[in-house]
Parts: sequence; C-alpha cells; structure tokens
Amino acid sequence: MLFTTSPSIPCGSLKGGSSIHSRSDIIYSMAASSFTRCLVRSYFCVKCVDHVQTRLQTTTRMFCVSASRSSFVDAPKAQFTDTEVQDILTKITGLDLKKVFRPIRQQLTPPKYKLVTDTELEEAVRKAEEQAKHLLKMPPVLPERKPINDVLYEDQMLEGMDTAKYVFTDINFNVPHRERFIVVREPSGTLRKATWNERDRLIQVYFPKEGRKITPPPIFKEENLRVVFEQDRHEDVLNQCIVQFEPDSAEFKNVLMLTYEDIEKHGKYDLLRSTRFFGGLTWHLVNGRRIDGLLVDMLQRDLMQDAVRLVHLFNLVHPQSESAQQAQTQQATDLDLLKIYAQYESNRAGFIELAVQTCEQAKALSSF
Amino acid sequence: LLSTGVGALRALGGAAHLSHLARRSPPQYAPVTAALQQNRHSSFFNKLTADELWRGVLAESGAGARKGRGKRTKRKIKKDLNRGQNLGEGRAGYLWPGLNSPVYRDGSVQKPSQRGEAEQKEVTAALERQRDEWDKRRKTKIKRERGWTGYSWGGISLGPPDPGPNGETYEDFDSRVIEVKSVFNVTAKESRKRSISALVAVGNGNGAAGFALGKAADKNTALRKAKNRAMHYLYYIERYNNHTIYHDIESKFKRTTLRMKKQNKGYGLRCHRAVITLCKLIGIEDMYAKVDGSVNLLNITRALFHGLANQETHQNLADKKKLNVVEFRAEQGTLPIVVARPQLGARKEPEVEDDVPNTRLHWADVKASQGVKRSVWAGVKRTIW
Repeated sequence: MLFTTSPSIPCGSLKGGSSIHSRSDIIYSMAASSFTRCLVRSYFCVKCVDHVQTRLQTTTRMFCVSASRSSFVDAPKAQFTDTEVQDILTKITGLDLKKVFRPIRQQLTPPKYKLVTDTELEEAVRKAEEQAKHLLKMPPVLPERKPINDVLYEDQMLEGMDTAKYVFTDINFNVPHRERFIVVREPSGTLRKATWNERDRLIQVYFPKEGRKITPPPIFKEENLRVVFEQDRHEDVLNQCIVQFEPDSAEFKNVLMLTYEDIEKHGKYDLLRSTRFFGGLTWHLVNGRRIDGLLVDMLQRDLMQDAVRLVHLFNLVHPQSESAQQAQTQQATDLDLLKIYAQYESNRAGFIELAVQTCEQAKALSSF
Repeated sequence: LLSTGVGALRALGGAAHLSHLARRSPPQYAPVTAALQQNRHSSFFNKLTADELWRGVLAESGAGARKGRGKRTKRKIKKDLNRGQNLGEGRAGYLWPGLNSPVYRDGSVQKPSQRGEAEQKEVTAALERQRDEWDKRRKTKIKRERGWTGYSWGGISLGPPDPGPNGETYEDFDSRVIEVKSVFNVTAKESRKRSISALVAVGNGNGAAGFALGKAADKNTALRKAKNRAMHYLYYIERYNNHTIYHDIESKFKRTTLRMKKQNKGYGLRCHRAVITLCKLIGIEDMYAKVDGSVNLLNITRALFHGLANQETHQNLADKKKLNVVEFRAEQGTLPIVVARPQLGARKEPEVEDDVPNTRLHWADVKASQGVKRSVWAGVKRTIW
C-alpha cells in the first residue's frame, strides 16, 4: 500500500492559475531585543516550489510611531499580537479537520490506502492536526500604512520633457521589497518617491507573485462583493484578498471590514469557523464592542467555553468597560463572566442569561 | 368472398342468387356449328383458402429455403386481402338489411335496395384510400436503436425482462445484448443446422447483474430466451461509494485477462465497449479496464463477473488483517479518513512494508507511465465514453 506524505503545503493546488484556494503561510518570529516591548515582525509568504519567498519587514520608522501611539491610550490594553490574545483566538477558531482539509478544486486522482494500527492512526491524525494548525495561522492585523509624499528633487529644466511619467525601480534581487527604491519622474520635472499603489504594481511587474494581479480584479468592488456574499463565499474572497493586497494596505483593510460587516449583519459566523480568518473577525468585533451576535451564535451551538473565552478577550481589550471592572473586582471565572457581561454590556441579556442557566442545570444534572 | 385484381374474372361467390342477378342474360344466338366457348367461372383462386394461396406465393418451404440458399432480397410479405371488406359490400353497391344497412328503420323491416352511382363511387374510393394508407404505414421503416455500430446488435437495450410465473415483475432491470452470432451444428439429418446464439446481460444499476446465453433458430426467440434466463443467474457486486470498485483487479478466464483499475469520481468508463455496457448495468461509473489476450466476448463477460464478485471490500480487508483501513486523498491533504475498522479490534503489530513494493508490474503500464509508448491512441482525449 502506498502512502504519500505531502509537504507542508500542497503545491499542486497552486498550479493551473486557480489562485483562490492558495494556502498562505504566515510566520511570526520574535525580535532579538526581548527586554524592550514585545517587538514583533510579521512576514507574509506564499510558499511555492518555483517562486521565491517574498518577505516584508515593517520599517523601523513606522514601528516607532505605532509603539508611541499605543502607549498613550492605555497601558494594559491588549494587542492582536499578544500571546494571550492569540491563544484565545486560536482556541475560539477551533480545529475541525474535516473543514480545514475540505477537498480543493484540483485534478482528482484515485485515493491511496494504508493498513495502520491504532497508534499509527493517532500519529497520522496528530500530523494532520499539526498541518492544520500551520494552515490556520492568522493573517496579521497591522496599522494602516502612511501615504508616501516624499519629493526628492524639483527640476524646472526637465519640465515638459515628455507626456508620460517615468518610473525607476531598483530590481536588485537581494533587496527586500519594502526597502526597494522606486522613484517617479513627473512630466513637470519633480522626482518623487512612488506611492504605495505604484510600488505594489511595479513590484508585481518585476517580481510577480503567483495569484496576484497587477490591477486588482473587479471582485473587490462593492457591488460584486455583495453578489459574492449572497452566495456565502466569504472565505474565497478573503483568500483572494490576502493574495492580492498587502496586509497593511487600505484596500486589504477595506475588504476585510466589508466582509466582517456582512457576516455580522447576517450572523454567518459559522462560515469562517475553523478557517484562519476567524481570529481577525473576532478581533474586529471585539474592537467594535459588538460581540453580542457572535456570543449568541456560540451559545446556540453549545460552545460554552468559547463564549467564556470571548468575554475574557473583551475584558482584556476594553479594561475600562463595566463588565471588565466588575469581573476584576469579583474575580469571576467561567459562567460568572458571562453573567456579568450580560448584565452590564450586552443588548441580548435575556438570551445570554437563559443559556447560562440551561448550561448550569445541565452541569448539575450530569454531576449527579 | 375473394376479389382479385385480375380484371378478366368476375366477382362470383357462393351465393347462387347473386350470380343470378349479376350475370347478364346470355344473348340469343342462332345455333352455330363452331365449338362452344368454354367459360369457367371458378378456378383455383376460388377453390383454395387464402392461407394455401399465400403459401404457394411465398414459397417458404422449398429446396431454395433450406440450407440457407434463399436470397435475402427476394422475400415477399404476406398481406391480408380481406381486411376492410364487409359481408354484403360489392361492386354493384346493393344494400342488404342485416349486412350493409340496418334491419329495422322507423319500426318497419327494410327491403334490399341499391346505392346510387355517385355514392357507390365514393364508397369504393374511400376503401381504396384506406387500403393505401395501410400499405404506407406498413412500408414506413421504424428507426432501430443503434448499438455499438450501425449493424451490430451489441449494446442494444431489450427493455426489462418478462414477468415471472408468480407475477413478479422486473421493471427496474434493464437488459442489453452483448453479442448475437449465428452458430452451426452439424447433424446427421441436415448437414449444417443453423441457430442464433445471443449473449444478453441484465442489471438494475445498483449492484445486481447477471448474464446468460440463449440459442434458438430465429433471432428474436434467442434474445428473449437469453434475457429471461439471465434473471436466474444474478450476481451482487459490491461497489465503493456506488461509483467504482474497491481495488485494482486482475482476473483471468481461459485466455482472456481483464485488468481493472479503480478510479476517482468523474473519470468515466474507459474500457472495452462490452465492459462499458456491463459496468453501466452493474452501476459502476468510473473505471479503467484493459483486455489482454483473447477478446472473446463471452470470456470477457465471465472474467469481469468473476473478478468483481471476488472483490475484497474494505471491511473484509480490515477483518482479515486486523488493522484499520485508512484512506488518503490528494485533494484533502494529509487528512486520514478511516474507511473500515476491524470488528474484533486492531492488532498491535504494524504492517511490515518493504521499500520496494512486491507487486508485479505490467510492461504496458510501465511504458505508458514512462512516456515510451508509441501509439497514436495513447494520449487521445475523448469527450464521450
């Protein structure tokens, strides 16, 4: 009996131009200076046999700005990249192997069979779970990138030299894309740094990444997005969005925001459960203080632990809210957290309290 | 009454009074010395029945018909000439109450009368038209469903088998002809005795299928016999997910080898046309099969059924080896899907696997996978299977 172990990402899925289901791989690594604040660099890669890994690095200048800004607001507020927050988000996302390893659209081959003992089976399941965790790494939530308005030189002599702009790109292979020099000579003679959009476009021209188009496809327009949302294909749109845009670009954030809003409006939380976008969705809702819908959905599906974790996350992110302060004073755990939240913050208090009561009754019955 | 197209003879029947009226009175001649004109009003046409006359015309049993000497094109078809005739209708157009016209009209008994000229013409014209229409309908060719090729009977459906003696119907079974051939047996009395042999397979598309051979002197009887006999020899064939076999099978019967390969959904039946027909009856939708050696259709059928009947389902394999059977699909990554667990629990020792699997390879497959195969049909893409 033959056994095929696929490498970490099935590369066959990326051939044939169908980029909607490409599986990206986001690696977090801690910076060397651990005694300062938790500096995190986020990388964004698409692993493919034939293509070079592209890496982004946040520039130090941007990093300083964001660090100083967040330190003004309130010290204990949790960030997306905190270990505790990430832990909660991964636990909430769940790990449904059947959904993560859904059949993707590719050339079918007959299946392969193996005769295994129970221990070997558990080993195989464990390996599958590890790969699933790898596939469920969340896309980064970064602050929006600042527009580039840097003018390098004003030259009146070159005015009217041509009707078109000239773009000069540094195509050295070993330069990271974020540090590449891309400058534009306008017909008016000014030499300026290229804007973010121009940068993305040109980098895609010289260093094409698989699945990314030079101009964004029309699916990301609002009216087309509406059609796609009606067909419940949020995950496909998000996958395509990740491939097309950079994680700190405005379009990326916009598409994500629209998707999350639509899901929240219709309560289609289950579409993203067990995918890598659930963390982003939860973070967005928690920041907007609108976790009622998600909480109710979890309670309806009897995911008590997830509901508790969600409220805990809410308290971490909004430490000055009523429920957080009450929880702090009462040192509440588990279902009491839910009760406190229901009492102080929620709009659907009745439903939440009823669900909590049924859970407690069930627990009492089972303990007898 | 017999009315023939021969103009010379009159329509004379058995009724004496009719001839009495129809015959014109003989003219009064002066006695002549010349010989009397002999006029017969009855001949062999009137003295024989229709069946006997037709037997003479068709000449079905003669020296020419025996031993297959009869020509195919010179065959005449028997036609019932009494069709459309009513007792009482005649060329003169008389109306006989009780035969042509009603006996009672307005309470009183009718008397025989005659139709007018125009009306009689109309009636005869209508009869002619009706006869022409019957002829035309008989001559129209019904389009016969085409089997594997225009002339062959292979692959043609014969509908469901006939109901059984206790009233059981087999409506969900479909029967298909695999082969029709004429076989000869040398007997003592007639030298070569010809009979038709028909191989028919039946199946309901859900795993129950069977085949049988029927022999008779004419084709339709042979097909009918085979179709009904096949219902007595049914096999039940296990299918994986109702679309393919459980594993690759190589079954050999006499000098025919049939190599069958399991395929994924959507692959289609890429096999010998007889194997395609049989798989459709069984309900297998995706399979690759190669026939090596002899291509005798009966042997292919038997090899197929024996091979499929002796399949090892996943549950059987699990029980035999006492290990879990786990499936890995390429489109689902590394997810292990447990297909069968042994009923008595799995054993602790894992299966020993060699580095090089101990399977026998086929040179044709190796050539195809290496790309060395020089055949114009090797990589052809077909859209209809």
